[in-house]
Amino acid sequence: MSTVAVERLTKRFGSYVAVDDLSFEVPAGQVLAVLGPNGAGKTTTLEMLEGFSSPTSGTIRVLDATPHRGDRAWRARIGLVQQATSLDAQLTVRDTLSLFGHLYPDPRRVSEVLEMVSLVGDAQTRVGALSGGQRRRVDLAIGVIGRPEVLFLDEPTTGLDPEARRRTWSDVENVRSSGTTVVLTTHYIDEADHLADRLIVLAGGRMVADTTPQKMRSDGGPPRITCPLPDRTTAANLPAGWARYLEPDGRTLVIRNADITTTLRDLLTWAGDRHLDLKGLEVGPPSLEEAYLVAIGGPLTQGVTR
Amino acid sequence: MTESKGAASNRPDPEPSAHRRLGSPVNARESPVGGRLPSLGSLLLAQIRYQLQLLFSSGRAIAVGVGLPVILMLASKGTGTHSHPNVAGYAVFGLTITAWSTYGLQLVAAREAGVLKRWRSTPLPRWCYFVGRILATALAATLAGMVTVLAAVVLWGPHFGEGSAVQVNYTVALAILVACVLGALAWAATATAFSSLIPSVEAAFPLLTLTYFPVVIISGVLFSIVEPHWLSTLATYLPAQPLLDAVTGAVRHGPGAPFIPGHDLGVLAGWAGGGLLAAVVLFRWEPHRPKHRRGEPAGL
Repeated sequence: MSTVAVERLTKRFGSYVAVDDLSFEVPAGQVLAVLGPNGAGKTTTLEMLEGFSSPTSGTIRVLDATPHRGDRAWRARIGLVQQATSLDAQLTVRDTLSLFGHLYPDPRRVSEVLEMVSLVGDAQTRVGALSGGQRRRVDLAIGVIGRPEVLFLDEPTTGLDPEARRRTWSDVENVRSSGTTVVLTTHYIDEADHLADRLIVLAGGRMVADTTPQKMRSDGGPPRITCPLPDRTTAANLPAGWARYLEPDGRTLVIRNADITTTLRDLLTWAGDRHLDLKGLEVGPPSLEEAYLVAIGGPLTQGVTR
Repeated sequence: MTESKGAASNRPDPEPSAHRRLGSPVNARESPVGGRLPSLGSLLLAQIRYQLQLLFSSGRAIAVGVGLPVILMLASKGTGTHSHPNVAGYAVFGLTITAWSTYGLQLVAAREAGVLKRWRSTPLPRWCYFVGRILATALAATLAGMVTVLAAVVLWGPHFGEGSAVQVNYTVALAILVACVLGALAWAATATAFSSLIPSVEAAFPLLTLTYFPVVIISGVLFSIVEPHWLSTLATYLPAQPLLDAVTGAVRHGPGAPFIPGHDLGVLAGWAGGGLLAAVVLFRWEPHRPKHRRGEPAGL
């Protein structure tokens, strides 16, 4: 049985269709990332899964219950972290966790959760005195203190610095190692790549991809050659027509080409004839970000030849 | 359906009980792991304790609810014109400003910060949250009123009422307590309902102030004013004057007179009950969101 089952889900606000005919399932233990640009319908979908709003049409089942009709027992089985931090600044971290833990039938020990989110040293600190990243981790700690079977994370690292993001990722990995199903929304491709087993991409309220990070890369377009221009080489020295492959900085060639063999041979021949050292030459599949932009029909045309 | 990546299959198995939990039917009292959900009584007590902690941790409730009335009382003592200080008025002022302005501001701030939405997502019954909040506020506001009366006793001694026969004793203290609790419930319940109409934290202070001071002034809480008959009649049906009358009656009661007149009790009970009903209907858990374009909520 799937932990989450969504079938033909649609949500309208007046004439605006926020989510359009969405269907997917999430098996137990999976980490699903929902990607998409602003207005794609990510948060609206998540809020329906959490029971904050009801669908206009279609069905949702989370842990075999309809979320917006979920009772206390159902709520004790889910955890969530909202898009914005939502904590009382006056309480200490320990008091906050103890307060929320009291609501659940079988809560994790506060010390266990503090360790899980790396906040042991800040247990007696008032929430208002914590950094943004630490508050986010307190949010996450509240989300998991009731031993949820499903955890919903709405853009858990938005606005955090790179170090805080990495720590939050580590916290999420700790949670999923306990077998919790995780559904998260994110703007960050690298976050989805790092955390998720599976990706769903939304655009304009519709699902445009349901895949894995690896498959998304391989489906995302032709392979890519990246090469910084050798010293003392300018656009004028490049083979005819190759100047269009230069990045805006004018010093890096990025060539996306289905015929990678021919292109690579041409590049090596050009460099060999001129005794140029192609330091930093890379050949590989498209980045996940490029694949994502292709999926949502974003602006990825430069340097693409098919 | 796509397959999970290899890393997922290599993860440790979830606890066996977790597998059993997934398909188990949802029961209103039994938790999925067989443990019982905490009792409603313990949840309500925890809420009251938590809300009191919030009210007092910032110091705002004490500064406004106790500090302001005591300062006004000291100022009136300094003028030497108040041989019988308006203790009941200052006590009601401290109580109502705590139950209306301080509480209303905190409630709107919590809602707009997403704190209320966070609570709504937990197994805490919704009624338990705002009943806990109202009761905690009523306790804090009552405490503010009682501390003001105590301050008067310290400043003037127990014989501060009109006439030498009047003094604060246990019976009077109990009557004041009853009036204060009922009044605080009336103000806090109404503030809970009213907070739903306040769109933002920025709008909270002006709206709460604009609705508070006119009521307090026409009710003669801080000073007496000459007003048209219809206005003084209206004031008897608002929650300030009946509370003031009840506390004043308790402080200055004479032989054979009830401690708290029935009309005052009725009006305060009506505001408490009506406020609670309106709060149940109007209470808003989620923050207001600015709309980006017609019909589309933000943060989609």
